[in-house]
Amino acid sequence: MSALFDNIINHINQIGACALIVIGLYIVVMHTNMIKRIIGINIFGTGVFYFFVSIGYVRGGQIPIVNGDESGVMINPLPSVLILTGIVVVVSITVYAMSLVIKIYEGYGTMDQAEITRMKSGENND
Amino acid sequence: MIELLPLINMMILLVTALLIVFIPIKRFGVIKIIGSLAFSLVLIFSVVTLLHVQANGAISYIFGGYERFIGVELYIDVFASLFTFFIGLLGLLTFIYSIGYVHKEVEKTQYSRYYVLIFILFFAAYGIIYTNDLFNTYVFMEILSLTACGIVSIKRKRKNYMASFRYLILNEIGSLSFLFGTALLYMITGYTNITLVNDALQDVWHLYPVNIVVASGFMIVGVGIKAAIFPFHVWLPDAHSSAPIPSHAILSAVVLKLNLIVLVKVLYNVFGANVMTSLNIPLFTGVIAGTGMIMGSVFAIAQHDIKRILAYSSVAQVGYIVLGISLMTHLGQAASYFHVFSHGMMKSALFFSAGCIIYVSGVRDVRKYNGMFKLMPLPVITFSLAALGMIGIPLTSGFLSKYYLGMAALDANQGIFVLVIIISSILNAIYYLPIVIRSFLQEPSSELNEISDSSIPYTMMIPVSIFAILILVLGIYPGILTDIIDGAIMSVVGGWQ
Repeated sequence: MSALFDNIINHINQIGACALIVIGLYIVVMHTNMIKRIIGINIFGTGVFYFFVSIGYVRGGQIPIVNGDESGVMINPLPSVLILTGIVVVVSITVYAMSLVIKIYEGYGTMDQAEITRMKSGENND
Repeated sequence: MIELLPLINMMILLVTALLIVFIPIKRFGVIKIIGSLAFSLVLIFSVVTLLHVQANGAISYIFGGYERFIGVELYIDVFASLFTFFIGLLGLLTFIYSIGYVHKEVEKTQYSRYYVLIFILFFAAYGIIYTNDLFNTYVFMEILSLTACGIVSIKRKRKNYMASFRYLILNEIGSLSFLFGTALLYMITGYTNITLVNDALQDVWHLYPVNIVVASGFMIVGVGIKAAIFPFHVWLPDAHSSAPIPSHAILSAVVLKLNLIVLVKVLYNVFGANVMTSLNIPLFTGVIAGTGMIMGSVFAIAQHDIKRILAYSSVAQVGYIVLGISLMTHLGQAASYFHVFSHGMMKSALFFSAGCIIYVSGVRDVRKYNGMFKLMPLPVITFSLAALGMIGIPLTSGFLSKYYLGMAALDANQGIFVLVIIISSILNAIYYLPIVIRSFLQEPSSELNEISDSSIPYTMMIPVSIFAILILVLGIYPGILTDIIDGAIMSVVGGWQ
C-alpha cells in the first residue's frame, strides 16, 4: 500500500497534468457554449504544457543559470524554453477564437452552438 | 549556395507576405505581379533543390550553429524536396487562378489580407515538410491551422465564422494531442530531433511499450483530426464548402496533404516501420482508412451542392492515402505518394472547373447542370476528365493510383482492401457520373440560355487546362513520377526494411 502511495507522490505532476487534460477535453466536447469551449482548450493546453515542463525537473536540481559555480545537477531548461513558444501559440489561438465568437454573436445573437445549429438547418447552403 | 535554397524559399514566402501588407488596395496589380514572381521563384528553386538532392544526397541545415540535439534542424531529402515541388506548383497555379476569381467572393478591403494569409500558409507548408524537429513541426502546424481558419473566415458571413470556429477548436485539439505525444517521446528519449528520437527508440522501444503506444496514439489521432481521417471529419464539409473556391482547392490539396505528410513522418521517421508493425498500429489505421473510403463516398451521394460533394469526396480520398501508408510496404508507400499527386491535381481541376461554372452562372446545385456542355464546353470537359479520374477510368492518373494501391494491398496479403477499393470506386461513379451525363446529354434549361464561357478570364482557364493536361500526362507516362517516388521512399529515414 505504501509503495502505491509513494508511486502517486513521485508522479504527482504527471497525474495532475493528465487530470487537467481530461477536464479540458471534457469541457470542449460536452459544453455547447463557445466561451466555455475556449476555456476548455486553454485548460487542455495548460495540462499538456505542465506535463512537458515537469519532464525537465530534476529533484534537488539548481536553476540553470551559469554563474561560475556549477556544482551539482541542474534542471533541464529546454522544455521550459519550448513551452514558452507553445504558450504564445495558444494565446494567439485564444484571441482569434474570441474575435470569432464576437462576430458569431453579432450574426446569430447567441453563443450556444446547439442553438446555432438549429438556426442553420433552416438556412440554404451557399 | 544551392544548400541554402530551401531557406531562401521560406524567406521569399515570408517576405512576400510582409510586403503585401504595405501595398495599398488601389495598386492590386502590384500584388498580382509580386505574388506570381514569388511563387515562380519558389517553384524554380524547389526544382533545383530536387535535382541537387537527387544527385548529391540530403541537405541538413541547423539554425544558429548549435548541436543537433538542441538546435532546430532542417533536413531536405528527396521526399521533402519532391513534395515541396508539388506544393510550389499547386501554389503558383492557385495564385494565378485566384487573381481572376478573388473579386467574386472576397470584399475589396480584404484582398491584401487574403494574399497575406495565403503566403504565410505556404510558408508554414514548406516549414512542415523541411523541418526535422517534432516541436518545430508543432509550431508550423499551428501556423498552418491559424491561416487556414483565417482563409475560411475571410468571406464575412456568419456561416463562415461558425465553420471557422469549429475548424479552429478541432484543429487545436489535434495540435495539442500531437504536442502531448511529443512530450511522451521527450520523456523516453530526451530529444525532439526526429532522427535522434528514432535512433534512441530503436534501442529502447521494448522497454517502454506503454509510453510508445500512448504517444503514437495521441500523435496519430492528433494528425488524424487535422487530416480529416474518417471519424474525425466532422469539421471538413462546413469549413471547406464555405471557403472561397481558390482556397477550397488549397485547403483540400495542400492542407490535408501536409497533415498526411506529418503522419508519414510520425509512422516512418519517428517510430520506424518495425516498431509500428510490432505494436500492431498499422492494423488500426488500415481499418479506419477502409471505413473512411466507403463512408466518405456514401455521405457524398446524399449531397446536391457541388462544393459539399467535393468536400465529402476528400474524406474518401484521404482514406486511400492513409491505407497506402498503413500497409507498411514499399509498394504501399509508393501508391500513396502517387495518389497524393494525382488527387491533388484531380481535386484542383474539379474545384477550378466548378469555380469557372459558378463564376459565370452562379449555379452550385448539380441538379441544374443540365446541358452545361453546350453553354460552357471547356470547364465541363476539364471537370469530366477529372471526375473520370476520380472514378478510376484508364488513361487518367486516378486509375493508376488505384491500380498501384490494389497491387500493394495484394502484395501485403491484405486482399480485402482490393474489395474496398472497388466498392469505393463504384460509389464514386454513383455521384460523379450523373453530373457528367447531365451536363453532356441533356438539353439546357431556358433560364441558363444566356450564359457562355467567353466571359471567363484567361487567368482562370489556363490553370484548369494545365491541371487537365497533367492528369492525362501522368496517366499515360507515370514513369516520370514513379522513379522520383522510389528515390523518395529510399530516403525516408528508418523506412521499410
